[in-house]
Parts: sequence; C-alpha cells; structure tokens
Amino acid sequence: MKTEFFPVIGLEIHVQLNTLSKLFCPCSTAYIGTVPNTNICPVCLGLPGTLPVLNGKVVEYSVITALALNCRINRATRFHRKNYFYPDLPKAYQISQYDLPVGEDGYIYIRGEGGDMKRIGIIRLHLEEDAGKLVHSAADGRLAGASASYVDYNRAGVPLAEIVSAPDLSSPSEAKEYVSLLRQLVRYLGVSDGDMEKGSMRVDANISVKCSDGRWGDRSEIKNMNSLRALERALSFEIKRQTAILEEGGTVLQETRHWNDSEGRTISSRSKEEAHDYRYFPEPDLPPLFLPEGFVEEMEQTLPEMPWVRKSRFIRDYSLSETDVAVITESPDLADLFERCVREGASSERSANWIRTEVLRVVNERKTSVGDLPLSSHVLAQLLSMIDSGKLSNTAAKEVFDCIIETGAGVEEALKVCNLQSGGISGSQLVEIIRDILEKNSSVVETIRSGEDGNGKKSKFLQGLVMRETRGQADPEEVRMLLQELIES
Amino acid sequence: MSSHGLSASEIARKVRAREFSVTEIVIDSLERIGSLDGTLNAMITIERDRALERAAKLDSALASGEGPGPMTGVPVIVKDNMCTRGIPTTCASRILSDWKPPYNAAVVEDLEKAGAVILGKSNMDEFAMGSSTEHSAYGPCRNPWDTTRVPGGSSGGSAAAVAAGYVPIALGSDTGGSIRQPASLCGIYGLKPTYGLISRYGLIAFASSLDQIGPFARTVEDLALSLNVLARPDRKDSTCSSSERPDYLDFLKVGSLSGKKVGIVREFRDYDLHEDISRGVEKVLRILQNAGAVIEEVSLPVTMTSGLGAYYIIAPAEASSNLARYDGVRYGLSEEAEDLLSLYLKTRKAGFGTEVKRRILTGTYVLSSGYYDAYYLTAQKVRQIITREFTEAFSRVHTLIMPTSPSPAFRIGELVDDPIHMYMMDVFTLPVNLAGLPGLSVNGGYTSEGLPVGVQMVGPRWGEGEILSMAGVLERELGPARIAPGGLADEN
Repeated sequence: MKTEFFPVIGLEIHVQLNTLSKLFCPCSTAYIGTVPNTNICPVCLGLPGTLPVLNGKVVEYSVITALALNCRINRATRFHRKNYFYPDLPKAYQISQYDLPVGEDGYIYIRGEGGDMKRIGIIRLHLEEDAGKLVHSAADGRLAGASASYVDYNRAGVPLAEIVSAPDLSSPSEAKEYVSLLRQLVRYLGVSDGDMEKGSMRVDANISVKCSDGRWGDRSEIKNMNSLRALERALSFEIKRQTAILEEGGTVLQETRHWNDSEGRTISSRSKEEAHDYRYFPEPDLPPLFLPEGFVEEMEQTLPEMPWVRKSRFIRDYSLSETDVAVITESPDLADLFERCVREGASSERSANWIRTEVLRVVNERKTSVGDLPLSSHVLAQLLSMIDSGKLSNTAAKEVFDCIIETGAGVEEALKVCNLQSGGISGSQLVEIIRDILEKNSSVVETIRSGEDGNGKKSKFLQGLVMRETRGQADPEEVRMLLQELIES
Repeated sequence: MSSHGLSASEIARKVRAREFSVTEIVIDSLERIGSLDGTLNAMITIERDRALERAAKLDSALASGEGPGPMTGVPVIVKDNMCTRGIPTTCASRILSDWKPPYNAAVVEDLEKAGAVILGKSNMDEFAMGSSTEHSAYGPCRNPWDTTRVPGGSSGGSAAAVAAGYVPIALGSDTGGSIRQPASLCGIYGLKPTYGLISRYGLIAFASSLDQIGPFARTVEDLALSLNVLARPDRKDSTCSSSERPDYLDFLKVGSLSGKKVGIVREFRDYDLHEDISRGVEKVLRILQNAGAVIEEVSLPVTMTSGLGAYYIIAPAEASSNLARYDGVRYGLSEEAEDLLSLYLKTRKAGFGTEVKRRILTGTYVLSSGYYDAYYLTAQKVRQIITREFTEAFSRVHTLIMPTSPSPAFRIGELVDDPIHMYMMDVFTLPVNLAGLPGLSVNGGYTSEGLPVGVQMVGPRWGEGEILSMAGVLERELGPARIAPGGLADEN
C-alpha cells in the first residue's frame, strides 16, 4: 500500500482592531503614513511610572468578534504579562491574555476542499497590544547589512485580537478560504480593515504532516506571510519539505520558520531549544475584567447580518448566480450598495452586473474603497433605472457613470456634461435622425428592400448607425421597429 | 522668627494669616537642608531655584487675593521614585541617573494643586529595594538621631528629612514596609494607606500589586491633611479605588476609645525582639486601654510564619518584569555596545546595583516555566490565606497593634552583606502589603541609647480613619514626634 501524507494546519491570526485610540492609552492608532514617533505618550512608550488603562471600545470589538465566531464569552477575564526583550517592545513585556481570554471554543464554517461545508474550530480569541516597528537603515529595509536600526513606536499599543484556530485545516487552499472568510467577517463587523498587505491582519501558520503509517512529524510555525498568495505558497512549500523528510524516514524538527517570498521557501529562524520562556504572570496593573450583566447580550444585538447569511439570502431573494453573489457580498460596502440600488428601483440583475464590473473597475483603478467613491446608491439606482427603462443604452450609461465618478455630479448634471438628454430620443425626433441615416445609406436600404439581407446583417448595421448617432439615447427596440417601418415605406 | 519645626497645618494656617510669606518658609527649610544634608545625605536632588520661584508665585497669588489651598506654603519632599516633570527622577539608580520625566506623578500634581512647594527628591534604596537606604547609587543616607546608623528604608531619605525638620511632610512609598520601618527608625509617623487609596500613576514601580504611596509627618493632623490632598480616585490608575474619600481630619475629633477593640498579635512574641520595642508596644497598648479601648489577643499563624517567604517571591517576580524596560534603548543609561544583546547586558550590568540584581534574578527564576507553580502560584495562595486571616481578625477587632520593626536603627554597613537578616527587618510590615491593608508606624518611645522605637497600627481595608483616630488619642498622651538633631549635636 502506498503511504499517504496529510497536512495538519492551524492558523494564528492577529487582527488589528480599528478603534480610534490605543489599547491602554488615548493615543491615536494611526501609524501608517504618520511621522514616526508622533502618536505616542508616556504610557505607550512604557516610561517609568506609567500605568495601562483599558480601552472599553476594544473590549466591545473583541466580544463582537468572538460572538461572530460562535465563541463562549468569558464574563470574567484578565490580562497577563508576556515577558521578553526586544527594542520594539517598550516595557519589555507585552500585555496579553493567557488563561482567561475574551472568547473560547468557537467555530466557523468554510467551503472545504471537497466542496462541502467544513467546520473549523476556534480555540480562542484574546486581546493583546501591538509592538512598535523597527526600521533598518539598509537599502532594502532589512536587518542584514544595516548599519543602524530605528524604532517607531506609533504602532506600540495598537489593539490586536489574536484568533487561534484548531488544527482543522487540511490544505493550503482551505487555509486561504478560512483567512478570506475571517477577513470578510471582520470587515462586516466593522472591527478591522483586515488588510494583510498593510499588516492589519497577520497570519502565522502551525503546520505538521501526518503519515498514513502512523508517523506524525513535529509542527513548524511559519511567519512572515503577507498575502493570501504568500500563505498558500508557504504552506505548499512546507508540506513538500516536511513530506520529503518523512518519506526519507527523517524527523521533522519543531521550529519557527520564516517565509521568504522572493526565494519562495521557508527558512529556519528559531528551534525549540531556543524558544522563549515568556514567564507569563497576571498583570498587576489591571484588575480582572468583569463584563457587566447584560453586556454580552447587548453586543449580540449589535451583530450585523453575517456574510454567509447575506450570501444565501441574496441567492434566494434576488435569484442571482453564486459567483455574482460571492463578488457582491465580499465587502459589506458592496453588498449594501447593491441592496440600496435595488430598493431604489434598479433591477437586481443589472445592479449586480454593474457593481461587479463598473463599480469594482473604478475602485481598482483608483485604488480606493467603495465607501470613498463619490457615488451614492441613489445616483447609481437612478442611472441603472434609465437603462432598465430604455432611456439610456448601457454604453451611454457608462459614459455618464464615469462622469459622475470624475466630478461627483448627479445624474442630470452628468447627462448635460456628456451632452445627453435625460428623457432619451424617441418619436418624431428619432424618425428625423433615422430618415437622415437612410438617405445617406440608400444603397444599403436598396439591398434590404430587395430581400438580400437574409441574415439581417445590413439591418443591424443601420441600427448601429442610429444608436451611434443618438449616442445611445434611443430605445433599441424603438429603433428596430422604426427602421423596419421606414425602410418598408 | 523662624518657621523651623512647625507642622504643615501650622504653616498653612500662618501663611493664610500672613504671619509668614511662603518665601520665608521655603528659605527656612532650604537653610535647614543646607546645614544638615551634607551629613545626612537625605536628598538626591535639591530644587532650590525652582522652589523659590514657586514660593514667589504663591506669595503674589496670595497678595492678589487668590484663595489658598490646604497646603499653601508647605514645603515638601518626595521620594525619588515619583516622577517630577523636568526634575531628575533617579530611583537612586545609575540606570536612571540622567532621566528627567516628561510628566508629573499624580501625587506631585495633587501636592502642587494644594499649594505645597516641592523642595527636592529624597534618597532611597535603589528602586525601593532595601530596608536601610544604603543601596543607593548616591551613597547611604544617615539617621538624624545617630548619624552612624541607618534611617531605615527604602524611603529613608524622606523619613530622615521629616525627622530632622527639613520639612513637615515628605512622601514615601511602601512595598513591604518602606514607609513604616524608616518612620519607626526615625521616630516619626509613617502611613502606608490601603492599596488603591492613592494613585500610583507616576510612581516608578517596584512590585505593582504591593506598592503604595504614603506620607511621613510629625503630627497626626498632618497625616490626615496629606490624605485629604492625596487620596482621590484617578482614572489613570486602574487599581485606584473609584469611591469618594472621607475628610480625614474629621477622624481626629475622637476623644474616647470606649467601644473600640484593639487586637494584639500573639505571634510577634515568638520573634527575637529588642526589649525596648516590646516595651514600646506595651506602652501604646496601655494608653489605648486607658482611653477606653479593650485589648484582645488575635492570632495570625500563617501570616507570621509564611508572609516573608510569599513576599520574597511575589515582590521580586513583579520587579523582574517591571525593571525589564531599563534596557538602554529609549532612556536612562545606555552603554556602548556592538550588538543588541551586549547593549542589554552591559547597560543592565553597569546600571543596577547588587540588591536590585539579586531580586531580578530571584523574580525571573520564580516565574520560569517549571518553577512557576511551585513558587509564584504557591505564594499567591499564601497571600490569599494571609488576606483571609486579617479579614477574620478584623471581624473581631478594630485595629491591630504590632511592632513595626524587630530592631531599632542598626549601624551603617552592619547588615548590608547579610540580605536574609536585612529581609527580616520587614517581617512585621510586609504581611500588611500582601493583604493590601493600611498600616501606620507611630513612635513608642526611645531606647536607652536614644534611638526611636516604632509601633505599628494596622487597620482593615479603607480603615485609615480608624487608625488616625487612635493615633490622635496616642498623640495627646505622647505629644508630636520630636525633631532629631540631625548630626548637629555630634558636631558640638
């Protein structure tokens, strides 16, 4: 019998909570694009004599997230100190949670490898503070070759929720699926941007390989995967590496490994023997946290519709395809835009189509978010309704749409700018235009009249000319009928 | 006429009555410091110019009719582990020798708001670790009653400053006895309040779950006045109680102690006590009894046998973590080094003294994986039992009377190389910190050699008022604390 190898993967995900102020002080959490060491105070710098004060908003966000992950909420929780030396850690300990995290024993369903829904256990969700950032003077920003290193403490004390999954993931693609779902979830909850590239969502993986002959290798912890693609690649590499060792009868070592994206491999950075002893003990500067009576219930009330619920509702209520829905419900902003458009009278099919194509096109072109576009659902719905009612062709509507995005104008104004008529072109005005075109293309008209346009190509050609002339403002059906009428007369 | 020797309350009254200007008071204090501190070394930093400038400001404010605060014109000294904006705050350590905090401790803000004038920062055992104020990077402080002896510690500088009449009030911090023991050795009052009564914001931590700031004074009224100024809720310290505090001066109106029960702790007799200390305890009990109190024996068996051991696990454990931030990266001493690890090693080797290193090592060890349960966790359980024993005792009595220290002031150098014996100096005081209770050391007389003898009064949580009442009754009998010669007598 052929020996088989099964990867066993668990993920530890740090989600940066997007509160305005830090976990234990009133400093702003803005650290991307800010001047280094400007959003700091004696508390987050860990100056002698300072004390932490817990940010209540962070507790709310963590409880909301834990509830969405179906965790049991610990009404009595507390903080611990995790002690280690590093220049980015101002107090030389990180305030974290240890024995009583905010949430425990949760789960979430992902679409598994075989296409069925698969339950992934959530071991815990706990709160902790982020560290500062080291900046090395070497040209590539790395430690190697740097003559000096600098520390920016703007990030020190930014709140993090660490979400630890059970080792229930069995392939890189499942891991990717799980991370995507978590990312979508925190965006729906409004507790984090969930941006892996920017580091507001950081994924570490614990991976081992189990062999069908009963052997089970030690796990390695993979760090530094800064995108979903990197996560998939790193896990695939690691599965191959560990499998190869087991195939040769070797032993996989328990160690921490660093993913090097440009080299496409993981590199050992710390073995078990070198592992830190963090000397956890209860943080004496913070009393235990008792969530007040009714707090958890109150947080439960604020939970929005979960992305997976919304997805199935969209498929059911709007009879849309699963692929369309997957795209539209990816972010709550898109899904909201969609639903508002439909509520304001646009057809669901056209709304879905436009949001998938046009809206996402400008979002990507402008490297922005839906919420930051100068586009209200009201304006979009108005525009789409004009297409629905035949007052505007799809092509013309795109021109108007671009104008709206460009100038922030309303539909009427944009139509004017594009030199288009809001009521469309029809009736006698349209007849005039068609007559004009028929005159200029008399030979084509003759051909049609002589019955030699069997496949209707010539008629289509004329129709195209009319549409071009009316710049999409005529109802194609009316054009077709008028053309037929006028050619035959 | 000199203001020397006046209590804070008297100074505040006289300044209000315009009998003295604040400037006169401050000059008198600075002169006293100038004449004695060369001998006593109670001060690490003297802020002469700043103090005179502030005195002038207060004087002109008074002249322009601004209402005085409860401490207007009172010169005070704070221990050098409390942050003072722009003024060096060293913890008597080389590692912080050049550090000037960018912010004020809550207590510093409170003192200034009340109108007090901070004259400087007092000497202490490095990072408040010690019982003699010998473990200071700025040299030992001397006892103003006998300058060959220690003032106790770790707040020895503040105790010596009040005893020698530099100022009527000084602040200390008490983690295991660091206010009460030096108060005892210097013959003055020293109050460690209930954990959570006074904000710790800006107090450089030694052991966060035990540290508490408190006043030294020569009168009970000044203690009450200090609590009125310092005890308040503070959102910056999550361990500080959010309850409103009473007016502590109200507790001094009590004349009789009838209906009050005072507990005497049976187990202290098992200790090898200096006989003058036993005599001091007896004297205090007699006065309380004469005032109507009933004396009852209580037992704290676990407290008196296991408190010391639990303390010397918990305090170093927290200290090892609290002191890890002194790594040479951001502030304080930073030694030239080739790489990160040697920066840490060199800086901490050069920056910390022997006793601090000893406690960091102990603390790191007891928190290490494999040892945590045996040491730290066990110590926490003992701490809970101790708290229960005290709670049980206070269900029967209103206060407890114990010695403050097993011995009066010892000689400089006598115990400095005998850490275990030195640790024993805290045996009666540290259980009070483990249970988070208020404790006051009052003077109970003098030895035949003229050294002060302290007696400790312990109350239930938030029982400061009760203790102050009893101390007030004692003071009416014994008089306020005497001012020590501060080495001047030796010279004559």
